[in-house]
Amino acid sequence: MKLKSLSKPWEAVSYGFLDASAKREIRRKMLKAVAVPGCQMPYASREVPMARGWGTGGLQISLTLMNPKSIVKVIDQGADDSVNAASIRKFLTRVTDAKSTWDTLEANLIQSRHRIPEERLTRDQILVLQVPNPEPLRSVEPNMSIARQMHADADYSRMWLQLYEQIVRSGRVMQGASYPSMVNGRHVMTPSPIPRWDVPKLNMAENLTILSAGREKRIFAVPPHTKVEPLVFSDVPYKVEEHHNLTCARSNLQGYFMNEIPNEDGTSSYEVSDSHLGIKKLNEEDGDTNLIGDTWYKNGEWQS
Amino acid sequence: MAYVATRGGERAIEQSERLFREELGEISLEKVAQIRDALPYLVDRVMGEASLYDQDVAALALTQAGGELHEAVLLLRAWRTTQPRICVADPVTQAGSHVLRRISAAFKDIPGGQVLGPSLDYAHRLLATEVLSGEKYQPPAVDRADHPAPRHQPSVSKWLADQELVTPSANDDTPTDEIPDLTREPLLFPAKRAHRLQSLARADTGGVLALGYSAMRGYGQAHPTVNELRLAEADVQVTHPNGTKFSAGRVKISQAEVVSKAKGEKLDRGFSATFGWNEVKCIAAATLDLNAEGAEKNSAVEEEFFLYHTEGVESSGFCIHFKLPHYVTFQSSLDAMRDAKRKKDTPKMEAAE
Repeated sequence: MKLKSLSKPWEAVSYGFLDASAKREIRRKMLKAVAVPGCQMPYASREVPMARGWGTGGLQISLTLMNPKSIVKVIDQGADDSVNAASIRKFLTRVTDAKSTWDTLEANLIQSRHRIPEERLTRDQILVLQVPNPEPLRSVEPNMSIARQMHADADYSRMWLQLYEQIVRSGRVMQGASYPSMVNGRHVMTPSPIPRWDVPKLNMAENLTILSAGREKRIFAVPPHTKVEPLVFSDVPYKVEEHHNLTCARSNLQGYFMNEIPNEDGTSSYEVSDSHLGIKKLNEEDGDTNLIGDTWYKNGEWQS
Repeated sequence: MAYVATRGGERAIEQSERLFREELGEISLEKVAQIRDALPYLVDRVMGEASLYDQDVAALALTQAGGELHEAVLLLRAWRTTQPRICVADPVTQAGSHVLRRISAAFKDIPGGQVLGPSLDYAHRLLATEVLSGEKYQPPAVDRADHPAPRHQPSVSKWLADQELVTPSANDDTPTDEIPDLTREPLLFPAKRAHRLQSLARADTGGVLALGYSAMRGYGQAHPTVNELRLAEADVQVTHPNGTKFSAGRVKISQAEVVSKAKGEKLDRGFSATFGWNEVKCIAAATLDLNAEGAEKNSAVEEEFFLYHTEGVESSGFCIHFKLPHYVTFQSSLDAMRDAKRKKDTPKMEAAE
């Protein structure tokens, strides 16, 4: 046996772009993140050929997890053909030779910005959420060092106070997306800017969710079967967006999270945000059957 | 027939990129060489911000980005991260660097002498408009000095230390391959000394200047006096696996040390160094370093504040990310606002809830 037969031919860039030391660090930090659900783990966060703030955190996780057998789905605002999702998908498949898909059910790795697909994820799937700001306390404490100490002390009083003040001032909690949530009864995390509609999908889920902020260099995770509870007062229930009765103008789907499209006459029409769910519905109308999998919401109602 | 999405994101981004590249035109070795030779200070600046010293690669990045500085630095950083780390060079010492310019504002004369070197400091900033009408601008020849300035210079700081005006820095004997590396470890606070200096070395020049200037104007506690500013070349001393030390080449470096009248009997010092010749950046960064000790939380001179906010790749990336669609988050906020408005308009119902 010759030494040469044991080594691979030289390549300009490592498989999956990141080199072995970067991947090793990310794997270790992912394991730590899984071990302490919702707790932010700092990591070096290498530069990748995409601008910071454009999904570089999610990208590094995907690059670390992917192998030639991966089937990856990339969405932005729920849509597979959104420009940045297209760019990330192109890069991921280009450097890993993995297959890509638009179908949530077919994917084993889903990288997403701002949405969780409407179809239920399973234990064989990993969801990677891109995170712009990993710190749920940022709005009450912009200094990362102090916020870190507050997490260590489980001191979330200012977070609660902020929610309370919103109720006093506006009659309701005004938090839109990124609803702060308690993970495993210990760490408050931001679920990334997913709508309130999607937060319950993280609670006691079958799948592993990794959240990664590339610019801010933090990884955190929600392992399967882990409690994720939105911060709410016992007498003011959690409220998701009122999209239960909206109908998609393109696919006629009803009871899913919608994009609002302003019309010239001053009214609004709606389009289902999970774009491939809409495509499946249209294809079912064309005669295909059983394309749509089990969904978290049915007729606009949450199915526990 | 299966329904196909009509919004075609992939085709749109492909063509958009082509449009950009078509307008920039062909990139050739000659073009890159022209950029490299015509704009050395720009090349220096991006090499510093990219923490990658290679004039050809930097000129290529500038050419490919059409001179968009943040893009050029991002290109270089993304390329840098794919490069193997062959070895760690020896630290560059004050006495060992080849000094081409060193000045002190603290003393009229300094041991080793003030060496102005190449500078526009005392030039009248007049545009040579005649060039635009076809005349050539030929720079006047330099009258060489009778005796060249010494190549190596002691640091002014050493003299201050001998006079017991500054507390000498403790000798750091960390083995070179164990020096903390910001590009492979997260930045945490309080930051390691190495991390702070590395972060400033690769910071965005404009960003460092903005925050450093705010400190100079009075938002910082300490007013800087330039103790020593140096433009030099340094040997990259590496050790061959067989044990011999050799120079793998020279890099241009700049460094600034600023001092301030302290609360006690010794002067406080601030320091910064970077790849390439970039005086503004080093003076501003050294001023931030000078002010960081004991700075108020969340002030512009606090370490966490200035290191996060002068990171050019992160700040520029985040700034332009706001171009990305945000309609899910916007929709979510609209929902809460409309609901709050409804509640306000029907106060009785709310009370009944």
